[in-house]
Amino acid sequence: MSRNAPTHPARSAPEQPGRIVAISPDDGSAIDLRNPLVAAVLSWAVPGLGQLYQGRTFKGGLFMAAILTTFVFGLWLGGGRVVYAALPSAADGADGRGVRALFKRAPFLCQACAGVVALPAVLQAARLGGPAREPWLLNSFMAPPLSPGQYVSRRYADWLAQHESGIGPDDFFDKPPFKQFRRDQLAMWHRQLGKFFEIGSLYTMLAGMLNLLVIYDAWAGPLGAGDESRKGRGGPPMPPADPHAPSS
Amino acid sequence: MFETTLIPLVAEAPLLLGSLAGRVPGIFFGLPLVALASLIFAATHHEDPAAIRLAAVHWTVWLGGMLGMVLAIVLLLGWLQ
Repeated sequence: MSRNAPTHPARSAPEQPGRIVAISPDDGSAIDLRNPLVAAVLSWAVPGLGQLYQGRTFKGGLFMAAILTTFVFGLWLGGGRVVYAALPSAADGADGRGVRALFKRAPFLCQACAGVVALPAVLQAARLGGPAREPWLLNSFMAPPLSPGQYVSRRYADWLAQHESGIGPDDFFDKPPFKQFRRDQLAMWHRQLGKFFEIGSLYTMLAGMLNLLVIYDAWAGPLGAGDESRKGRGGPPMPPADPHAPSS
Repeated sequence: MFETTLIPLVAEAPLLLGSLAGRVPGIFFGLPLVALASLIFAATHHEDPAAIRLAAVHWTVWLGGMLGMVLAIVLLLGWLQ
């Protein structure tokens, strides 16, 4: 057995030109990143899925469990209210007000980084702000709060009056074919949930922001790899590393 | 046995947990976040499970220490006023 014989499974694989690899900062082994763009998109969609696609099952499972658990726990702490989106409406026009409308609910920009778990909020906000004036899921899951004077469908108003605590039929003006809400639902949520609205928001936001690191890990490998990594499509094949060299 | 004890327990779990969460001081909700951030930082800097565990402990100590110092300063300033 030669001195430079491969000792790590990742090194035993034949090096192929054009493969995108990163170097593990722990043992210097090569990490096959496969298609980094696909991996990054997968890791955005479901945290850790990109790592699973790359065959890094331990890290994939770890990311998936940690981030999704935190997101769901935060959502539960916030009574299912803390993840909602604000989308630009047709009235915002094209002079930049539409972009500013996104920042009305700036925490969602962080929460959306957690992937498809935050997607219902976009669908709910889009339909509630559209001509239907009601969310896709009538149970108001991840639907944005109603602001004073907002028009909603009669069906959604009736559902809220029946199922939403603190809201009754008298809280709507009858404006056929819609109903107009006369209170501030966000203020009601803050009163009902107290500190848990902020804590739940923090949990879900942090889950999304930490997923940015996970996406980068799927895109470019471990952050600690530094200059030892060799990345880039079409680059030269990795030279076999010396197994007796001191690890960094 | 199962139907009489476990099913009601599962059905009322959200209420029980909600009641429990309501009794926990708000500051303790930061601890899982420190642990989570440490774990993710460690896992995005290493590849080996043992190295990830070790780095997660180091990050927890650093983050917890820094945040603890900030908290101590805030409490001290509040006490001085």
